[in-house]
Amino acid sequence: MALNELQYEFKVDNPTTILKENYHYGVVGSGDMEVLMEKKDLGGAVKVKVVTPVSGFDKVWERVLKKFVTENSMGDVSLEINDNNATPVVVTMRLRQALAELVKEAEGGDK
Amino acid sequence: MDNTKVWDTLLRDTNERKKKAEQYVKEGKIVAAEDTVALLEAVIKSGDKVNIEGNNQKQADFLAECLAKVDPEKINNLHMVQSVVALPSHLDIFERGIAKKLDYSFSGPQAGRLAEYVTEGKLELGAIHTYLELFGRYFIDLPPKVALVVGYEADREGNLFTGFNTEDTPVILEATKFKQGIVVAQVNKIVDKLPRVDIPADWVDYVIEAPKPFYIEPLFTRDPALITDTQILMAMMALKGIYGPYEVQTLNHGVGFFTAAIELILPTYGEELGLKGKCCSYFALNPHPTMIPAIESGWVKNIHCFGGELGMEEYVMARPDLFFIGPDGNLRSNRAFSQVAGLYACDMFIGGTLQIDKYGNSSTATASRIAGFGGAPNMGCDAKGRRHPSGAWLKCGAEYGEREKLVGNMPKGKGLVVQMQETFREKMAPTFVEELDAWKLAKNANLDLPPVMIYSDDLTHIVTEEGIAYLHKCESMEQRMSAIKAVAGYTDIGLQADEKETKALREKKIVQTPEDLEIDVTRANRSLLAAKNIRELVEWSGGLYNPPAKFRNW
Amino acid sequence: MANWDDLQKSSFLESSARERALGLVDKGTFTEFISPIDRMSSPHLPVLGEAVEFDDGIVVGVGLIGKKPVFVVSQEGKFIGGSVGEVGGAKMVNTIKLAVDMYDKMKAENPDLPEEKRPAVVVSFETGGVRLHEANAGLLAHAEVMDQIQDARGKVPIIGVIGSKVGCFGGMGFVAAATDVIIMSEFGRLGLTGPEVIEQELGKEEFDAGNRALVYRTTGGKHKYIMQDCNFMVEDTIASFRDQIAEVVKISIDEMEGLRRIGSLELVEEQIKLVELAAKMQPSDSKDVWAHFGNEKPEELTDMPYDEFMKVVKRYPKQS
Repeated sequence: MALNELQYEFKVDNPTTILKENYHYGVVGSGDMEVLMEKKDLGGAVKVKVVTPVSGFDKVWERVLKKFVTENSMGDVSLEINDNNATPVVVTMRLRQALAELVKEAEGGDK
Repeated sequence: MDNTKVWDTLLRDTNERKKKAEQYVKEGKIVAAEDTVALLEAVIKSGDKVNIEGNNQKQADFLAECLAKVDPEKINNLHMVQSVVALPSHLDIFERGIAKKLDYSFSGPQAGRLAEYVTEGKLELGAIHTYLELFGRYFIDLPPKVALVVGYEADREGNLFTGFNTEDTPVILEATKFKQGIVVAQVNKIVDKLPRVDIPADWVDYVIEAPKPFYIEPLFTRDPALITDTQILMAMMALKGIYGPYEVQTLNHGVGFFTAAIELILPTYGEELGLKGKCCSYFALNPHPTMIPAIESGWVKNIHCFGGELGMEEYVMARPDLFFIGPDGNLRSNRAFSQVAGLYACDMFIGGTLQIDKYGNSSTATASRIAGFGGAPNMGCDAKGRRHPSGAWLKCGAEYGEREKLVGNMPKGKGLVVQMQETFREKMAPTFVEELDAWKLAKNANLDLPPVMIYSDDLTHIVTEEGIAYLHKCESMEQRMSAIKAVAGYTDIGLQADEKETKALREKKIVQTPEDLEIDVTRANRSLLAAKNIRELVEWSGGLYNPPAKFRNW
Repeated sequence: MANWDDLQKSSFLESSARERALGLVDKGTFTEFISPIDRMSSPHLPVLGEAVEFDDGIVVGVGLIGKKPVFVVSQEGKFIGGSVGEVGGAKMVNTIKLAVDMYDKMKAENPDLPEEKRPAVVVSFETGGVRLHEANAGLLAHAEVMDQIQDARGKVPIIGVIGSKVGCFGGMGFVAAATDVIIMSEFGRLGLTGPEVIEQELGKEEFDAGNRALVYRTTGGKHKYIMQDCNFMVEDTIASFRDQIAEVVKISIDEMEGLRRIGSLELVEEQIKLVELAAKMQPSDSKDVWAHFGNEKPEELTDMPYDEFMKVVKRYPKQS
């Protein structure tokens, strides 16, 4: 009975990295998740680590994360996710929100 | 002509029983509460068909307890016919051998125990019905011999005031009394003069003032504080993708958080889309507290109610133009008529579900709970007998992909039947499945058919967080299955979706994603709700809405 | 990170721990210690297969209110009910310790340290108490925090703030009671044993946890305000709490003593008198108590909006 640690690596064409060194978003409530994004030299790749109590959804995580990374042409970014039973729709929503907030703050949002 | 045959056995039998019960009648039709068990033993005979209310909201709880106390040596093998199996005492009578057979519609919290009793042989299941279906059978092959009903007040002659929660009483008693049956009513209070007469004294045999007010459940109240961003996104999709394009003016909302979310974004997002006046003017609906902001914002012209909703009494009384109000100022609800309205006078049913199979059959049945249907299958179907046209009905019929196969070149209308659910429910249980749990239930409980709430040929639209599937536009079962896969997200069914097929379906507008509908998903959050918690609903109502204790957090 | 100006108007009840920490101090002054970047999550939860959070459910840091350093501890109720485990507990204890050490240092350097520069601590409670998964580590944290609060007495004011969904229950109810000042909103709740646990152990007749109105009459902000279990009651916005904190930190450290609920023989005696009163009165509901202290129409108080309530309410007349 331990936490599952899933690792993924994606590489897309014409990747761009994130606008800040690092960014954190989310609260690990029941059915929810948090994500820590960090700029990293990964040769254009994206590395994702998912820590989750749920077993057997490795393929689903892969598809959700691949879609997110591809949609946003991400590269040289590390994502670390602490999950607590978030459904794919919640995962997608939180990742999108995290990125949107990151961009907003980088482009001159207030503290 | 055979002169020896007796043609009035029902009346003779009733008179015989009433003679035995005479000793318990004090004045008029009043029987003392402590004599109730004895009364029931006098007027009921073994093997009788007995109805007990057993409604969706109100319960004849005192009469149910008394029925469970009768001597099973004297009274046994009863055939219960009732709308809802809601109370533990409704099943205690099977435990004690007082009742043997059951025909019903819905069982909510008792569903698990009901399933156990069926498998253990303690209960013989007649059939599960929709409400209107069961009411219909009261007039054909299931007329009750004895009806145990509940109202707010009675006068000494036996007139009943059922008021806000009239619900099923009129239809039950019309069938019972005019078939010479016996009617026993429990009321909160016996008074000199009723605010109005809902049930005439001629239809009532005995009236009992129960020791405490009857139990009533606030089933249709949803706390806005619990509505999630995803439910709001789906509500936005429903409004922009279905309500708007079809201009749905007449409808029924099934109970649940999705419809609560839709109700709460009518004054905000709905207003923005310009839908006021074009949509949601007429409802067959219980008085949902979450409708208050839309009503106050001028969306609604008329609502007919199946039953009442605890806490909404004063609000409804203060809005008489919009509801069905008696000369006394109180609401008159009526489930039978609302069901008819939902079936024939409404263009759309929209509600939630638990599972949808790959063909599009939708069910809330689980392997170990026989919950039944309530009214959903009745309103969640295409009423083939309908003839009057409306914009929404004609448009859906014109788009119906399989029409020619079924009726040749004849134009036809079609009712909208919409199911909303996230692709995964809690604990990552997939909504879309190869085989419904209903099959397992049919096997466990020995049912002739797997209990399906809405069949695939009636289901016109599915809304998930991934998109809307306009299933009625499909020209074949194969195409329907592809459309379902396209909105089934990351479930096993959804992962079977073919990218090229999905793209083609989107181009044909058989599947539409939030992006296709040009919905800004970042706007899908709670700030779009006209009221974010119960407190704000109270404020919208000007203090008229009085939430039950379990919904107050202040 | 959220916009500070937007946060001011937001509902305190709906705000996350981080949003509260950011919003309760002056704009742009909050610096978080051991933030998610440091990844100091619980070492115990993974063994049990339970989800972790990078900040272990507590946000700590320091900001300014005017010239005053204000150390903030903010609990996240959405993460395992805001319960306190080893790491979160350590963050809490050491943030308070940091404040006290800072005061000692500043005082050593400047014996005439002006009041306006005296560090303060604000604790935004949202917790059910000990994180059962971490058992003794959680209990120990509670003891260490109370110990630390004792060390702070007379040096650094500890201001408890309660206005979030989970309320402040369990062992942390003791901790809150030990602070110098408590500020609540009517949506906050303060108690020891949680309502569900009372119902579970003693039955629905003793306490119906599903009757939320009853729960709020017994543990909610309005009742606590009447009973003087909290000093101040404010509206449900971050700005309201912040304004009240700004007022409170103007009070001198000596005057603060007068706001406390525990810590002197007089206060203990007063509590005993209240227990005697309860035994004599046998109130069946809080409304009986409110009536006893001069509120003629107690049933009207629950639904009353904030401004009206503050004008008409009669509080228990605290002696000490």
